[in-house]
Amino acid sequence: MKKKFILLISILLLITILTGCWGAQELNTLGIVSATGIDIEGDEIITTFEIIKLNPSLGSSRSDGSKNVRYIQTRGKTIFEALRNTTLVFDRRIYLSHNQVYILGEELAKKGLTPYFDFLQRDHECRETAYLLVSKGSKAYEIMGFSSGVEDLQGNYIRDMLKNNKFTSKSVPINITEYFKNYYDAGIQPVVGVIQKKEKKYEKNMEMKNKDKSILSVEGAAVFNREKLVGYLNGEETRGYNYVRNKVKDGIIEFPTPSIDISKNTLLKIGSNVNNISNLDIKEFTVVEIIKSITKNKVEIEDGKIILKINVKTKGMLGEEQSNIDVSKDEVIKTLEEACSKEIKKQIEKALLKAQKEYKIDIFGFGNLFYRKYPKDWKKIKDNWNDIFSEVEFRVDVKTDIIRTGITNIPSDSLKGE
Amino acid sequence: MILISKRVEDNKTFVLDSFNNTSDLIHYEFETNDNKKVIIFYIEGFIDRDLLDRDIVKPMISNKENRDIKKIISISNLSEVYEIKEVINKISEGNVAIFINGNSIAYLVDLKKWEKRSIEEPLAESVVRGPKEGFVEDISSNRNLLRKKIKSNNLVFEDYVIGEQTRTKVSIAYVNGIVNEDVLNEVRKRLNNIDTDAILESGYIEQYIEDNKASMFPTIGNTQKPDVVAGKILEGRVAIFCDGSPHVLTVPRLFIENIQTSEDYYIRPHYATFLRSIRIFSLFLTILLPGVYVALQIFHQEMIPTVLLVSMAGAREGVPLPAAIEAFLMIIMLELIKESGIRLPRAVGSAVSIVGALVLGQAAVQAGIVSAPMVIVIAVTAIAEFTVSPLIELLILHRLVILFLGAFAGLYGVTCGLVALIVGGLSLNSFGVSYGYPIAPIGKKGLKDFVIRFPLSSFIFRPKGIEKTNMVRHTSRRKK
Repeated sequence: MKKKFILLISILLLITILTGCWGAQELNTLGIVSATGIDIEGDEIITTFEIIKLNPSLGSSRSDGSKNVRYIQTRGKTIFEALRNTTLVFDRRIYLSHNQVYILGEELAKKGLTPYFDFLQRDHECRETAYLLVSKGSKAYEIMGFSSGVEDLQGNYIRDMLKNNKFTSKSVPINITEYFKNYYDAGIQPVVGVIQKKEKKYEKNMEMKNKDKSILSVEGAAVFNREKLVGYLNGEETRGYNYVRNKVKDGIIEFPTPSIDISKNTLLKIGSNVNNISNLDIKEFTVVEIIKSITKNKVEIEDGKIILKINVKTKGMLGEEQSNIDVSKDEVIKTLEEACSKEIKKQIEKALLKAQKEYKIDIFGFGNLFYRKYPKDWKKIKDNWNDIFSEVEFRVDVKTDIIRTGITNIPSDSLKGE
Repeated sequence: MILISKRVEDNKTFVLDSFNNTSDLIHYEFETNDNKKVIIFYIEGFIDRDLLDRDIVKPMISNKENRDIKKIISISNLSEVYEIKEVINKISEGNVAIFINGNSIAYLVDLKKWEKRSIEEPLAESVVRGPKEGFVEDISSNRNLLRKKIKSNNLVFEDYVIGEQTRTKVSIAYVNGIVNEDVLNEVRKRLNNIDTDAILESGYIEQYIEDNKASMFPTIGNTQKPDVVAGKILEGRVAIFCDGSPHVLTVPRLFIENIQTSEDYYIRPHYATFLRSIRIFSLFLTILLPGVYVALQIFHQEMIPTVLLVSMAGAREGVPLPAAIEAFLMIIMLELIKESGIRLPRAVGSAVSIVGALVLGQAAVQAGIVSAPMVIVIAVTAIAEFTVSPLIELLILHRLVILFLGAFAGLYGVTCGLVALIVGGLSLNSFGVSYGYPIAPIGKKGLKDFVIRFPLSSFIFRPKGIEKTNMVRHTSRRKK
């Protein structure tokens, strides 16, 4: 009994050695980082940290308008060295666990991320859910310290913008884990989010106090060939990419309203006169809000040729209708569904063509699908998969289902009194 | 064994010597009409003088014929004693002793009458719904209160006298046929084994008979309410009344009794269930909160959501003390205010709470000595502890243990402390019954009265942990 007790105590004591996060640190010795910028100049790494400056009454920026943040910049041959060098110029220890975004300078991205990213994977403090972004056309530190949102902390501001991606699907929220997953996986190349400054276009008197002439935008995506940045996708192509990757959960599709057969429509459109009908040929737009979308990709070999099949099923809701068609009729909805499918197909094809023809890189993971389905064949072609990918045929099949039409179904120009 | 002498003078000297001529022992000598010398003893203020004069002294003096004393004294509890030691004991319990010359018998009449507190609502166990009466210091009143709840002839009291000097009357109560015989025998045995010269409160008895004196968990229940005692002994428990104490003990006590209140059974089950879950939640909250808060703050900053961390860190800016010391200081301050609030005269007590609230809540934060979230944490802890007031001693002490472990070993320490507490609690026994019932050992019948309080009509069986033989509550079901 006594032996058992001593054994138990010693086991309990041994566990204390196993804990990886030993070492207490008081909160007021930490500099909590919310965003990090990584750049390269020559062979030196420049890190820029946005550190939350804590004052007891935090919550809103102080009356003098200054921000609750501090920026420090240090250099080093490695990220760790640069990080530790901060203690020479800053009074608090850099604490990375709450870092929301890593902004990578374009130059660094073009040079290749691998030698600099080991730290992000290895260090226990670096949160793997932090988002990765490439600063398009600029250094990372040019983006840093710039926020046109409500949130003072740029890290939170950018994170929230990326989280709002679901409303448009025009950006890619990629965190460190996902990047490395795509980086190591066979037959897929990583894509990283993009951030850039854009010109602000305002009417004359709008927000006169705000002197910043530009805003930040996370639209688009950066395409990587393994570790090196090779190019960008624009907003629509990014949505196409998200469709293929089955990452569209929400968002809207905007397309020209299809011209509906007039002879049928005279019957359908009760309460409108002939003059109105003739106006239908004018391009007006319809918006469908996506409620649910599922993409299933397939790779098949037909007659010795590789064929990529992308099958999209979207459920949506009519969000906006500029023309005056009667959406309470099944035939009209069907036409709209077809038009919507066509638009989605167009966007997917655009993204596919850009990756195939321009960058010649498989960012969609078809190689991975191929590897799973034909592991033996994969061995033969894996070294030049990207070349094969740029030549293969693809078939996109989209099916849209509009299940709701909003809280009105009256055509916009119905006659008064009817 | 000293028998009573036939000479009344001998008895007089013996009694007076035994009491060391104490000034509150009154002796009164007189002669009856037939010239018999009579001497009576009693303790001043302990007996009903009117009754003594009217029913004892007057008839004896006016007695002319040599009749049997029982025909003279018309008091129902007259008893005859042959041993002088017993007479002495009885005098100090409020009896009147009568010695008659030429008679080797002493007569004892119980005329006890002393000042006692009237029945009031116990402050510590007030209820919204349910009886408001509470026990008082007088044991016979207390027993009457219980008898009023259970009018069955199966309700049995057994008397003990414990304490060489105090000679405190202790009596155990149980319902014959329902009581767990094993527990009853164990209670008898342990009460007989108490060897002390003083029992001043039922707390003394509790400490003499409890199972594990090293454990912080209370294994003996106490209450001031007769309805609670009735409920407990009807489940097969034994109650221990102690003269001079309004707190009645009940054994065995299970852990779940700490989260049960009598009101749970008086209100309807839905809300009772909700209240019980709140109590369990606050049980963990009040033990763990300061420890977990400090552990998160100094070891696991990455676990706190960013926005919360920023506001927590912001509040800690400029606070000179380490978080653990800050928490410890605040807990001590809280206990200080609580303790002084109890000890001080009521009029000053309110002043203390105002000063405490101002000093603790506002001034300390404004001066930057403690951070505002810490005040909130400690305040929540303090509020939560009162919902499980039976465990309050354990909670306060173990909270400090958890805080200490959390400050030195982070969440690992907190977990160790919690596991040690739970294991320590579950391994206890109260009078042969597992303390953890109905969770460990698991008991289907007992679970009906655990977090979810089932409707009363579904309480067909008594909890198996306590009751052994007579399981069924409703007689109508028993016949089937």
